[in-house]
Amino acid sequence: MTSRRTLWLIPALLALVTLLGLLAALIGESGIWWPLSWATLAVPCVCSLYYLVRGLMPPPQ
Amino acid sequence: MTARQLRWWSWIHKWSSLICTIFALLLCLTGLPLIFHEELGPNPAIDEVAEPGVRASVDTMIAEALAERPGEVVPYLFYDREKPIVKIPTAASMTSAPDTFFYKVFDVRTGKALSADQPNEGFIYVMLRLHADLFAGIKGTLFLGSMGLLLTVSILSGMVLYGPFARRLKFGEIRKRHSNRLRWLDLHNLLGIITLAWFGIVTLTGVINTLAAPIELMWQSNQLLDMAAQNRGQAQGDRKAPVDLVLANVRAAVPGMTVTTLAFPGSPFSTPTHYAAFLTGDTPLTSRILKPAIIDAASGEVVAVRDMPWYATALFVSQPLHFGDYGGLPLKIIWAVLDIVTIVILASGLYLWLARWRTSRTAAADMRAAATEFAR
Repeated sequence: MTSRRTLWLIPALLALVTLLGLLAALIGESGIWWPLSWATLAVPCVCSLYYLVRGLMPPPQ
Repeated sequence: MTARQLRWWSWIHKWSSLICTIFALLLCLTGLPLIFHEELGPNPAIDEVAEPGVRASVDTMIAEALAERPGEVVPYLFYDREKPIVKIPTAASMTSAPDTFFYKVFDVRTGKALSADQPNEGFIYVMLRLHADLFAGIKGTLFLGSMGLLLTVSILSGMVLYGPFARRLKFGEIRKRHSNRLRWLDLHNLLGIITLAWFGIVTLTGVINTLAAPIELMWQSNQLLDMAAQNRGQAQGDRKAPVDLVLANVRAAVPGMTVTTLAFPGSPFSTPTHYAAFLTGDTPLTSRILKPAIIDAASGEVVAVRDMPWYATALFVSQPLHFGDYGGLPLKIIWAVLDIVTIVILASGLYLWLARWRTSRTAAADMRAAATEFAR
């Protein structure tokens, strides 16, 4: 069984990264703000696609 | 979490989701092309000019727009946030509904009329109406807002349920060997928790957006009249100052900000004896927060400038966070991918309920058949 701390660690990090990405593009459009927003919001995006594709693949024989 | 609490949260999640899922799916599907509305919508071609800072006379553009639509009036001017264009709508009256407006688009630097499709027709317009009010006006908007609230409850209850459901699994583990239902349950939980913050923010800001009409009404009945009252008692008449003078006075009174909308006297966002200009800043955040300026219609003098109240500012800040159009094309692409993942979450939730319902019906039928057999 996963401990409560381990269970929520990755979801909490993903939520933090997402919020950072959402705010970064609002704060400014020059300098690092937009690339920072793209990079951080790409994390939940890539994670979702990765696990979706992995979940749809047939189980190993 | 006790078994009773788990049952209670499961009940909340099941019913809040079941009621709103069809509408949430519709919102996600219609929202997908709307993310790219700037790329897919009416897009007039802009010429290169030698002096980009020059501004042509807006009064001349208004006269040209009115000459094409005799008997109509101009209730607003809408400046584009990105391009040097102004949209001049004409309508049967100052209070006509925006979907009846006929738009003429001009290059603000040359005053040249540009060829562009009407923004209130075509594919993007249909998607927008389905997304914003189901073609049912304010009632449709508020109904979708209530569905958004249910979706927020569903997201929060889903987060609470993630703990008990995922505690026996490693993060990212999907059980594929047992049944299709179990595979989709794990995928639904996993994708839901990965996109939780984004989906929660987009849903909540969508709900705030549905309150735009009541917020506008509050501003009109409190702030607008209060601002206009600052020059009450001055002589008023039918004479109206030229729009070019009004715009010049507003720009001088509020330096560093850009006029995005001008509401003409008698329109819903001004008073019968005042123009109302709405200005914005130049950062992604301040370009969304409107600052109103009230101008005496007869003299063209600026009467009052003040910040919007907190509830209107909350609405303005929530708009980019809902639309995803504040960080260039890469952000729009990310928004679209997360929107598609959300569609998968909603559809898998529906599938999980249907699969369980079918299983319980089959089990009940089997039990009935077994009981009948036993009775014989």
